[in-house]
Amino acid sequence: MTGQTKSPSLKLLDTAEKVSQGAEAKIYRVQLHPTPVCSSSAAAESGEVAEKVLLKYRFRKQYRHPSLDASLTKSRVAGEARALIRCLRSGVNVPGIRMVDAPEGILGIEWIDGKSVRFLLGGGAEGEEEIVEDATDEPEEGDLPPEEDQLQEYGISQDALMGMIGTEIAKMHQADIIHGDLTTSNMMLRHPSSRKGLQLVLIDFGLAYTSTLVEDKAVDLYVLERAFSSTHPQSEPLFAGVLKAYETRMGKDWAAISRRLDDVRLRGRKRSMVG
Amino acid sequence: MQSFHYPHLPSEYATVHVALYTNVTNSAEIRGRIVRAAQLEGPDGETEREAVNFAFLDARLICSPLHLQTAVYQAILAQVQGSIRTKTVHSEILWALNPTNNITEAIRRYGVADTTTALIVVRICSPELNDVEKRMSAVVSGTLSSLDALVDITDWASVKKYCKLNGEPALKAVAKDPAKERLLVEEIVTSSVAMKSVMA
Ligand SMILES: Nc1ncnc2c1ncn2[C@@H]1O[C@H](COP(=O)(O)OP(=O)(O)O)[C@@H](O)[C@H]1O
Ligand SMILES: [Mg+2]
Repeated sequence: MTGQTKSPSLKLLDTAEKVSQGAEAKIYRVQLHPTPVCSSSAAAESGEVAEKVLLKYRFRKQYRHPSLDASLTKSRVAGEARALIRCLRSGVNVPGIRMVDAPEGILGIEWIDGKSVRFLLGGGAEGEEEIVEDATDEPEEGDLPPEEDQLQEYGISQDALMGMIGTEIAKMHQADIIHGDLTTSNMMLRHPSSRKGLQLVLIDFGLAYTSTLVEDKAVDLYVLERAFSSTHPQSEPLFAGVLKAYETRMGKDWAAISRRLDDVRLRGRKRSMVG
Repeated sequence: MQSFHYPHLPSEYATVHVALYTNVTNSAEIRGRIVRAAQLEGPDGETEREAVNFAFLDARLICSPLHLQTAVYQAILAQVQGSIRTKTVHSEILWALNPTNNITEAIRRYGVADTTTALIVVRICSPELNDVEKRMSAVVSGTLSSLDALVDITDWASVKKYCKLNGEPALKAVAKDPAKERLLVEEIVTSSVAMKSVMA
């Protein structure tokens, strides 16, 4: 043992349940605020069930210089938190923020009760993800029921889901927020039984930034289109449904983005022919 | 009164006691005591400062228990990391609640005023201190109530005004549904408190 004691947030991680590990961050689930003890003199408190929080821990990267690593980590946590609050104020469905410990590289956000769109489309869990599965959740992800059954529990069709995705991305772009990593793993469907009801929720704003440029919005869409085609069979009609809802929501701004999306696709194709 | 114990926090900040008092009749007196305690010297000063060693919050500006807990937790983190902007962990709660960096404004808005009738009292301390409710009730004349009563106390118009939420696209979208609007306001306000340390 060294003389240094662990920081509160690292001690908290010790008690948390590890959910997944990416290259940049480890994901944990924990109850941040303990269940209260009530004194006898006040009337009995009903109290809601304490909500779970997801902790995103940007751990130290040994390959980076320590002081550079510290400042990078801090600014990434700050950047993700700022993108989330911007989305919230703009009415884009994202997880609420619950705790920020920037010096330790930890962002605590609202736990979304639900499933990733990737899973709901039958793409399975991402290899490195989902180390543990919520024991209180419905059937395990191990034995996948047919896709339609997975959505049935949420009471919506695949088409409706695509529409929700397009609408949410459009709301985000109208607020000049670019996600930077749109994939079907980075969107979740909130279970209809949760307090906020059925919602398509965008997550993982680690690469987000603000921009008014048509180019940035078009590239954001293109990244998602590629993600659809690499993860989901017969993705074309699915993605068309996303774009249709996006178009409706964007209104007059759609034309320019649509043209630019065609350009971006063309550039992408050329690049893949060369490389 | 409700008590929360955070095992991962250093013992002197590991326990948080929270009480809601309604029908408070001595707010002006409490405010006077806080001001005087800060100025008193010698052992009398110590005693008086300990007697009012709480955060006193205007309950109308608190949206939910989670909103309050979030501010308390961020205040404790700042205290433990040596980054507090105010004098004590209790005044830091007021700072965490206020959207701006103006400490005087935070105290004026979120603290106790002469006219306050619903008061939330918070004490952050070690688990060993065990007569906290008695100490609170020695200062506040009012009815100790369940935190659940907050739902009828929150002044949503003031909350929206202070957090500059009027005119935000998020609120326009739910303008016709008061229940949804409250859920959204609560979410934005709570999230803002949580990320205040990295806002600017
Ligand atoms: N708020 C949340 N609630 C529930 N699960 C989440 C939440 N945020 C992320 N996840 C799950 O954790 C995974 C990783 O989180 P993410 O923010 O995407 O980090 P990474 O940068 O590692 O991709 C997501 O793909 C999703 O399955
Ligand atoms: Mg991700």
